Amino acid sequence: MKKHLFSLILLFIFSSLNAQNLNLGVKFQKTHSLYWENGLSVQYSFKSFKPDQFYIGVDYVTSRLGSAISSNALKQDNMVASLAWHFRKNKSFRIITKLNLGIFKADLEEEIFSELPSGTTIIAPELGVSYDFKNYPIKLNLGLGFNANITNGGQSPGTQQPLFYHLSIFYKLPTKKETDEK
Amino acid sequence: MKNNLFLILCFLIALLLSNCNKEPVFEEYMLDNEITFDPSINNPEEFLVSAKYPQPTSEDLEKHILIAVHGYTASTFEWGEFREWSTDPDYRISQVLLGGHGTTYENFKASTWEDWSESIQLEYEKLEDLGYTKISLVGSSTGSTLLLELVESGYFNAHINPKNIFLIDPIIVSSSKLQSIAGILGPMLVFVESDQSAEKDKYWYRFKPHETINELNELMKKVRKGLEGGFSLPEGTFLKVFHSKHDPTANSLSSVLVYKGLTKADGGNIEAQIMDSDIHVFTRLKIRETVSAQDIDNQEDAFLQIAEKLK
Repeated sequence: MKKHLFSLILLFIFSSLNAQNLNLGVKFQKTHSLYWENGLSVQYSFKSFKPDQFYIGVDYVTSRLGSAISSNALKQDNMVASLAWHFRKNKSFRIITKLNLGIFKADLEEEIFSELPSGTTIIAPELGVSYDFKNYPIKLNLGLGFNANITNGGQSPGTQQPLFYHLSIFYKLPTKKETDEK
Repeated sequence: MKNNLFLILCFLIALLLSNCNKEPVFEEYMLDNEITFDPSINNPEEFLVSAKYPQPTSEDLEKHILIAVHGYTASTFEWGEFREWSTDPDYRISQVLLGGHGTTYENFKASTWEDWSESIQLEYEKLEDLGYTKISLVGSSTGSTLLLELVESGYFNAHINPKNIFLIDPIIVSSSKLQSIAGILGPMLVFVESDQSAEKDKYWYRFKPHETINELNELMKKVRKGLEGGFSLPEGTFLKVFHSKHDPTANSLSSVLVYKGLTKADGGNIEAQIMDSDIHVFTRLKIRETVSAQDIDNQEDAFLQIAEKLK
């Protein structure tokens, strides 16, 4: 998972060189009836294709920064890439549809549990809203997602449950154009 | 656009209202109806040690008593195989029927998880009052979760400590997609119908009222939260958890949570064993469509380990 985090940082540095919009934020995610999993979120929209409307993103959320802090909750990590479409372009209040694709891994710690299902892929459509503060470089995003690939039959790790919701708070980084204007 | 939204809203409201009137349809052979009952209701002395030996001799009181607790929607049938398997005169088995179970759909619908637990406590206290000192407990599925709740809530602080607790496929997190969102979908679901054989319908409720799914979720949440905070067994109590590797109902990570959150009285680890199995409650093999040689080995393994601790 540290490798993925390193890739995330590299992607962030690379992206900031040529972005139309680049947002860096913190994400607070709650799985319904289960854990808090918190972490980082990055959103990026291209200059040349549907700027400020089509976004790609990378998120890393983990119970290590949530429910598993000083408790016996399972330590589990979610690394997700996303494609999002923002409706109501140029408005402060927007509706967002998003598709999250990624990997989930729970750390079962003990050798006796090594054969149990602990990892799976994430395929999660999401519906959300965002609010863009015009006078501040801050953007809020609320989302409701559904893990669609959970299989019945005990093949999926049980601490990945279908319904989750999150709040992300983004800092909108100044783009190259904005920096030049200053 | 607005017209479309209005139509969708009307459709959802109509769907909700039509489902709210949904009623389960019972066949004569089903446990859910008002004709079929769990046999322990009319013949408790065949199932409960406290009823069979209301005035135990000193020889009776020397024996180990194992209280066997079935799971959600099940009945005393679930532990019948262990009784049939057991020939050892050193121990006796009390098969309790959980509150709200083994009677009717309406009774079940009105029951809470506290009602389910009451039957276990009642038999435990009766045995204690009669003078038994070697009492152990075994639970399958929700039966295990109820036993964990008794430990977590400090129930045994006011009673004699159990000698052993065995957990078979405890449910703390579910393998079912719908389970965790039943609270949201509840009014639309009304009930969930199990896809089970007519033979199984005689011993397990076929229809699960959404109210009882919510009760189960509440119980699971309470025990999970307790495990996250950590708690320990009473002094001198042995506990072992067994879990099917690919349990289709109670996800096997439930036992990882039990292992992480529950310790022996001295702070040491409890025992855990993962079974090479893909069935829920691997100790019950009767009226299953297929039973493999591995399933039989798993059952025998668990039964032998339980019996060994009752000597």
